[in-house]
Parts: sequence; C-alpha cells; structure tokens
Amino acid sequence: MNIIVGLITGMISGATPILLAALGGAFTFYAGIFNIAMEGMMLMAAFFAVLGSFLFHSWLVGLLFAIAGAMILALIFIFFSVTLNTDEFVTGIALNLFALGSTTYLLRQIFKVKGVFTSKLIDSIPNIHFPLIEKIPLLGPVVSGRNLIVYLAVIATIFCYYLVFKTRFGLRLRAAGYNPNSLDSSGVRTSRMRIQSLLLCAVFCGLAGAFLSLGYVTLFAENMTAGRGWISLAAIILVDGHPYGIALISLLFGFFDGLGLFLQGYGVSSQFTSMVPYIATLGALYVYARRNRERERNAL
Amino acid sequence: MDDFISLEHMVKVYPPRVLAVDNVSVGFQKGEIHSIVGENGAGKSTLMKLLYGLVPFDSGVVKINGAAVHFRKPGDAIAMGIGMVHQEIELISQYTVWENVVLGAEPVRGGIGGTLDSARAIELVRRKIDEFQFNLDPSAQVERISVAALQKVEILKLLYRNVSVLILDEPTSVLTPQEIPQLFAELKRLRDKDTTILFISHRLDEVLELSDRITVMRKGKKIATVAASETNKEALAQMMVGRQVIFTSKRTPHPRGDRVFEAKGLSVTRHDGLKLLDNVSFSVHAGEIVGIAGVEGNGQFELVNSVMGLAAPTSGSITVNGGGITKLSILERRKLISFVPQDRGKMGASLPASILDNAIMTHHRLEPRFSAWRGLVLNYRNARAFTDTLAKRFSVQMASRQSPFRSLSGGNQQKLILGREFLLSTPFFLMDQPTRGLDVGSIEYVHGEILSMREANRAVLLISADLEELFLIADRILVMHRGRIVADLVAEQTNIEEVGRYMLEGKITA
Amino acid sequence: MTRRILSGVLGVVIALVVGAIIMLIEGYEPLATYGALAQFSLGGIGPLTTTLKNSVPLVLTGLSAAIAFASGPVNLGQPGQLVFGALAATLGGLYISLPPVLEIPLLLLLAIAGGALWSGLAGLMKQAFGMSEFIVTLMLNMIADFFTAWVIAYPLMDRKAFSPMTPPIARSGWMPDIGPLNSSVLLMLAAVVVMWFVFQRWRAGYEWRITGQNSLFARLGGCDVRGNFMAVMLVTGALAGLAGGLVVMGGPHRFLKGLGANYAWDGIMIAIMANNGLVETLIYGVFVAAIQTGALGMELITNVPSEIAQVLQAVLVLVIVATREYAAVVFDRLAARRQARERAA
Repeated sequence: MNIIVGLITGMISGATPILLAALGGAFTFYAGIFNIAMEGMMLMAAFFAVLGSFLFHSWLVGLLFAIAGAMILALIFIFFSVTLNTDEFVTGIALNLFALGSTTYLLRQIFKVKGVFTSKLIDSIPNIHFPLIEKIPLLGPVVSGRNLIVYLAVIATIFCYYLVFKTRFGLRLRAAGYNPNSLDSSGVRTSRMRIQSLLLCAVFCGLAGAFLSLGYVTLFAENMTAGRGWISLAAIILVDGHPYGIALISLLFGFFDGLGLFLQGYGVSSQFTSMVPYIATLGALYVYARRNRERERNAL
Repeated sequence: MDDFISLEHMVKVYPPRVLAVDNVSVGFQKGEIHSIVGENGAGKSTLMKLLYGLVPFDSGVVKINGAAVHFRKPGDAIAMGIGMVHQEIELISQYTVWENVVLGAEPVRGGIGGTLDSARAIELVRRKIDEFQFNLDPSAQVERISVAALQKVEILKLLYRNVSVLILDEPTSVLTPQEIPQLFAELKRLRDKDTTILFISHRLDEVLELSDRITVMRKGKKIATVAASETNKEALAQMMVGRQVIFTSKRTPHPRGDRVFEAKGLSVTRHDGLKLLDNVSFSVHAGEIVGIAGVEGNGQFELVNSVMGLAAPTSGSITVNGGGITKLSILERRKLISFVPQDRGKMGASLPASILDNAIMTHHRLEPRFSAWRGLVLNYRNARAFTDTLAKRFSVQMASRQSPFRSLSGGNQQKLILGREFLLSTPFFLMDQPTRGLDVGSIEYVHGEILSMREANRAVLLISADLEELFLIADRILVMHRGRIVADLVAEQTNIEEVGRYMLEGKITA
Repeated sequence: MTRRILSGVLGVVIALVVGAIIMLIEGYEPLATYGALAQFSLGGIGPLTTTLKNSVPLVLTGLSAAIAFASGPVNLGQPGQLVFGALAATLGGLYISLPPVLEIPLLLLLAIAGGALWSGLAGLMKQAFGMSEFIVTLMLNMIADFFTAWVIAYPLMDRKAFSPMTPPIARSGWMPDIGPLNSSVLLMLAAVVVMWFVFQRWRAGYEWRITGQNSLFARLGGCDVRGNFMAVMLVTGALAGLAGGLVVMGGPHRFLKGLGANYAWDGIMIAIMANNGLVETLIYGVFVAAIQTGALGMELITNVPSEIAQVLQAVLVLVIVATREYAAVVFDRLAARRQARERAA
C-alpha cells in the first residue's frame, strides 16, 4: 500500500515541473514559435527562487523572483527573435547557454560556492494539507499534503485549456501559429501575440523552476533542470500542445521519474535509474512516430 | 468629381533594390469598380498593399476624402473602412467560417482573455451572409469548403467589419470560368450599395466586362487610367506589355510518334477512403503535347507525385517507353523523365545554392563526365563548362556561375530549370505550371521551348491552370475533375467554354 | 565575402562591448580583464599552444555540428558522441598495449567508431521508425552521460583515485608533443582540411549541401537522401567521437568524471557562430578556446571568476548571430532607401 502511495506521490512530484514548463511552452507552440528555451527559463527561475527566498526569507518573494528570472530570458528572447528576427532555434540555444553560464557565475559570485548552494535561511514553498480529505485512506495521502505548486499546476492546466480554446486571446494565439498572415490581415499583430505567449511561457517556467528549487528540494545546484525543459518540449510535440494531453504525458514521465527513485531503493545504481525518464521519452517518441507514420502512409 | 481615395507619388523599393512601385499617382472614386491591370511583377499588388498598410512605403501620400492618412498596419485601414482580399487565400483552415470571419473583431463576454460569445458571433455572421446573399454555412470547417466559397468568406470577413472599400487581388485566378459571373454579379451588387471596389487582374476580358475605370501599370509605373467603355483588349495589352501582343498560337502541325508515356488505372486513396486520384488512364506520344486542365486540387498534385515517385499510388501502373516505373527509385525515373515543377523554390531549385550547383543537379548522377574517382569526386571543370553552355543556350542572364540562384529574376530562374531538364536526354517531359508567375516575355520564351521539345519528338505532359496557355500549345487537352479524367479533347475541336464546363461540373449537361 | 567578414568582426566587437558592460555592472575593470584573458590565452608560446590544444575538442565538435546542420540532420548529440568516443578510446588504451605507431591509430579508430555508434543509433531510430533525431540525440546525450558515469564509477574505476575516474591508458596511446605543441592539434587541422574537401568537392558533399538547403529538390533531383542522412549522422558522430578520443589521449590520459559536461553545447554554439561554415568553425573554435583558456588565468590575477567566460560565450553567440542577420537586413534596407529617394526626387 505504502509503495503505491509512494510511487504516486513520486509521480506527481516528477510530473509537476515538466507539466508547468510544457504548458508554458504550449503557448509559444500555438503562437508558432519554435521555443526551446524552457530549459533555460526554468534554470534561471530555480536560481532566482533560491535567491529571493534566501534574501527575504519568504517563499512568496522567491516565487516572484523566479518568475522575474524566467522573464529576463523571455525579454531577451523577444528582443532577439521578435524584434531583430534572429533565428528562434539559435536564440533558444544561446539563451539556454546563457542561463547555464549566468546561474553558475552568479552562484559563485553571490553565494561564493561552486556546484550546490543550500541554507537554512531559504524558505521553501509549503505543502498544503486538507484535514478532511487526508483521512480518506489511499486517496487522502495522495491528494492532500502536496506542495502548493502542485495544486497550482492542476489549476494551470485547466486555465490553459480555457485560455487557448475558449477565449478571444486563444483564438488569436492559435491563429498566430496556424496562419500569421491571416491574423495580420485581420488587424491583429502576430508579433504581439508571440510576445504575449513568451511572457506567459516565462510565468509558467518560473513556477516550474521555483518548484524545483523551493519545492522538490530546497537548494540550487548547477544545471539542476537536467534536461527537463527538453522533456517538456517532447511532451508538447507528442500531443500537439493540447493542455490535457500534456498533463497526461507529464504524469507518464513523472511515473518513470518516480520509478527510477523507487528502483534505487532496490539497489539499482543511481546512474541507471536516472536514465529512466530519458529512455521513457525515447519510448514515447517511438509510439508517436509510429502513429504518425501510419497516418502518413494512409494519407498518400 | 473629387477622388474618394487618392494615392500621390507612391514609391516602394523592396530591399535590397527591387523597385516595385515607381512614383505612382492614382485616384479612386466612391462607388466605382476600378481595375488595376498589369503583368506579373508590374507592381499592382504592391501598390494596393501600400494603400492597405500591409507594406510600408518609402515615400508618397495616401489621402481619403482629401485628408492625408497613414496606415501602419491593416487594422488601421480596416478601421477606416478599407479591406483587402489577397491573391493567396489566407484563411485559417483549422477554423470554422465564423471563427475566420470574426477573428480580430470577436464578440466577447468578458473574463480573462475575453470569453468568446460564439452564439452571438454565429448570429452576426449569419446576418451578414443573408444580407449579401452569400449562401454559406457559418459553422462549416474552412478546410472542407470550395475555393469559390473561401473567397466569399474572405469578402465576408471584410463586410463584417463594415468596409466601404474592397480591394481584390486576382480573385478570379482560382475560379472556373463558370464561377466568375457569379462573383461579378456579387461585386456589382456591392458597388450599387456604394462600395468602392479595387480589382487587381491581368485578365483583360474580365476587366473590361467588370470595371468602370481601368488603371494600367507596367514595371512599377502607372501608364494610364482609362474608362472601360473607351478602350479595348488590344489597346490595354499594348499598354501593359509595351508592345504588340499576339493572341494566337504558334503551333504548327507535327506528326505524333510512338506511345512514350502511359498511365493505367492510376488511383490514390486517402486514409478516409476519399479517392484523390480515381482510375486515371491516358497516354502521351512522342512529339505530342498533352495538356491537363482542371481547377487546382483536383488530383494534379497526386498525379505528379505518383509519376515522380514522391508517393506510391494505391493502385495502377505507369510505363515509360514500355517499361513499368512504379517500382523504380526516383533516380532511375529521372533517366526517363524530365520535370519542371510548379514551385521553383520548393521543388525545382535550391535558392541559396550557387547557379552552378543548381545547374548540375541530376546530371551529376546520370552523366559520367561530371564525376571522377568512380563517382566519389565531382568534376568541377566540366560542371563549369556545362553551366556556361546551359546559360548561353537558354539565354540565362547571370552575374556569375557562383552567384546564388536566388539572385536570378523569376524568368531567368525558370529558364535555367527548363534548360537543365531539357538537356537531360529523356523521352518524357512532365511540366507542372511552368509559366506561373512569369512575365509575358518569359512566358513566350517558355512556350517556344516547349514547342521545340515537341519538334525534338519528346513526349510532353503539361499541367496548367491557365486555359489560354493550354489552347496556345497543347495538342490534346485532358480535363481533371475530382481525381478523374472527365474529358479527352483535341485542341482544335474544342473551346475554352467547353473545357471550363468540364472543369467545373465534370460533365456536360445539356 | 567582405560583408561576411565585416559583420562577423562587428558582431565580435559588439559582443565584447556587451561583455564589458556586464563586467562594469559587476564592478570589474573590463580592459584589465580582457587584457588578462588575452595574455593567458595568446600571450606567448606556452599559452598559445595550450589554447590550440584546448581548441581540439571545440573545433571537432563544432565541425560535427556544422556539417550536420548544413546537411539537414539536426544532430545535437555531440556531447554523447564525444563521451562514447572517449570511452571507446579509454577502453582500448586500458586493455590493449601495442607500439605507439599501432596503438595511436587503433585508439583513434576506436574513438571514431564509438562516436559513430552513438550517432548511428540515433540515425537508425530516424530511418527505421521516423523518430526525430533532434530530440533523440538530446535524450541519448543524457543517457550516454549517465552510462559513462556508471562505467567510471563501477567497472573501470581507479580504486586509488579520490573521485570517479579510470586508471590511465597505456603510455603508447598518448598523443605525443611535437616541441611545445601537442600532436592532436595537427590531427584537428587535418580533419578540417579533409572535411572541407569532402563537403566542397565530393559528390556526396554536394548532395549533403543541397539536401541541407532543400531536401525535396535534392530528392527530386535523384540524390540518395536517405543514404546521405545516415552517412552524415555517422560522419558527424565520428568527428565528435574523435574529439572525445583526443581529449583522453592528448590530455589527462584517462576518463575523468564530468569529461563530457565541459564540452556539452560548445560545438553546437561554435557551429552556430560560424553559420555552419567549416573554415569559420575553425576560427571561432580557436577563439572560444582562447576565452576558456584565458579565463582560468584571468581568475588568478583579476579575481574575476572564470565562470564569466560561460556568460561571455552565450553573449557572443547571440550577438554574433543577431548582428550577422540584422546587418544583412540593414544593408538591404539602406540600399532600398537610397533608391527610393532617387525615384521620389
């Protein structure tokens, strides 16, 4: 019984950052931007979350710092990609490098350490308990007592769906990706929608990064996102950006993430258990490619 | 009468140095149908895009009712009651008709991001449809409706925004001859309600029939504005091209030889069971030009893909010189088939590559003189000589062999592709819209070359959406309709109206 | 051509100015910092040869990325292919001992094979199942990283060492020094020349280039697009593998922990700066190596942390690319405006 609860809570923790980053990326995906900067945005956010929380001993400030950190990258992305028309792929790669380099540099510069920074002064994001639900066996310990960001992620998924498919904003956002010329000649500037989508992406990646450094653990480590941004990109591609699909895929990755930790308890060396989410991504890609190929074969 | 809209001394240079609009001044009156005519590249579309705020201009003044205005984006123009329908239909195929119509001016109920009020949007769109008798379903998915209906949606989109000036860029190029009168009737009805219509076209018969006044442009300059009642086709053509144009065929009788190409029972079925190509059988003989007429999207794409080997047909066979090619690789097919695609930049050339690199494509595999060391290394000396011969023989104007292909003008690009394919010694020639987007001089050149291939006893299959072109050079005309060949006509024994009927209805009804 | 050099130089200058502004904000002396950077990377035979030696993996992975990007395949797997090449060479060097004339070529071949194996795996997934190589190579990077971390922590661990690493490889497999210069530099230069020749003069290179620019055109022209894809994957993997082998054989002579992480995105970054040009890759590769090499010395005398080199690199990529692309637009617009003014007058 405890094993199952453990696996499920592990799955939820593993899924949350990927889900949030992928939801953010979904906005840019719909807006027609090839955005691969989620990794960098998350990393910046994770660092600034720790910085804010450390300086002000408040997780709320940490959260705001996280969003601001991701926002810095989004603004640079906007300046280069939307204003100067620099290639999106190049901008994304450079920004990921920039995030990696500057967080490493700032870690050394501000906290005078290399590798990892942790401190008692860092206020982590609280877990939320629902006293009534908690009593329910099996369901209770899973639903209650999770980190605040986890609940935010659930709300964000629904919000994302509503925004993309039910609102004027969403209609224009998707139009920017489907046919930018059509949107422009309808009197709405595509570049504006793209800018807005990048800002939204930064907010979501900010939450994801804050969860990593103030929720999942309470520390900042160099390159602590460890490819989660890329996995979230894969998740977006696999379900064509649909928020509910992203949620499902993220849970799947979360499951494998949790499974890895679980296997570690059984003596499998950590190097192999750490591979599990990436192998799972390859598996998901395989299924996606097969489905696509069948569709194509039928199409012609 | 004062002009409602006037454009004064408009100049537009596309970077780096394409002078698209060269000091043009022209005025439009309220409630007139005013056509802008000119060849491809004459600047007529650009001029309208300057007015619409889609393309920024370098100098000039736009005045409405005598007051200078400056539109920075189409939204500004729409707010002033000016709307434009582009040549390429730019609707969002994933959206419904109403979603396309209201996009950018959506009725909302408030809330974060503005919750769409879809019931009201549908109602508003339906009301506009009824008002202008457009016969459309607001909830239809755009990817499932006909081209003529798409155009109506584009117009509706503007009427929904209450525009009083409609700019239409070559709206008839995607319509069959039978759909055009209906569009014209709708346009005249709009004019009678005091809408100003600016109509861009290069089809002179249509322009004469529809317009009140006509402005002729050539090479970015305005040549003249004339009343439609005071001019005729020949005079317009002369102003447009700058010299006399012959509207008759230069085709002389030529005996046809053996059968070279044959398609038998060719079918392509989509995953949902729709037959995109339905049991197509025909043959092309040596020394014969066979034209395929049809509205785009009636199976031409699938036919080309099947012949070239980009996609395998569901059933049926293709033979060239008696040998089946359906199982062959593309390279093996290219020993038998020369191919001029409809989209130069997408299928016919690599734009950033040098002219030389583009010239030797396919030859580099088929001709031993282009390689050394058993095909490992390319022989650039021979490649250079070949490029020069090709450029000379097909009069390609180029700065140097090493300049990028994209630096060539459209006509020169097409000449190079045509020459490259012509010099492959193949028995069969497939051409997909080889003159699309070219100016009159280049079109005449391409037609001359196609006819000389016929003289050289090669079998030519010419797919074209331009009926006049087919009647100028084809010996036989096949009509494609919904994936099937519905007519096989000898050019001399048919006429444009009959072919148009087949294109639209797939059969002749009495 | 001159315009290309001009916008490249302009990009570097702007990037250095941006870097200087960052240093000023951080309270450092930009000129002194850059001076130290140059002094420890280019000032004299010692620093210069060190820079050149450090440039070997950068240039080779850059070459790998440049050839891949210019030919179509989005091979982002240089880090994984590099560690696999390094691992293969290390394995050979641990278990096989031959005279240097045989040992060195053997280890190099093993490194090449190791890299090609890992990129070939990605290529195969694309060919057989249609899985996009873009994400596959990224995932394989992570997997390769964990796998080699395991190998040096368990089966091949040097029990005498404090952190995970293998024992040193056979002495005969060390890349010899020629005077002050390590011979791996010569191999790198040879690789650039050979790849240039393949890319510009071979029929395969011609097809790779055209396929990278417009694969549909190449396919219709009769090029073997599928075969070329696999060939490019293998060749670019081999180059990254060679880089890994040379890192081991020219440097620490063993597989150290974190060997791959040091070069993670550098090759891709250099290829992007070089706009996938092969000669440009060599130039930018040495340039980046100079920054990285100089940064370590700079830290000693200016107390600017060496990590600033990483920030500087990212700024360089962005600014160089943006300058190049934007400069072209500006040049064209200026020409257009000049002509427009003439017509309006």
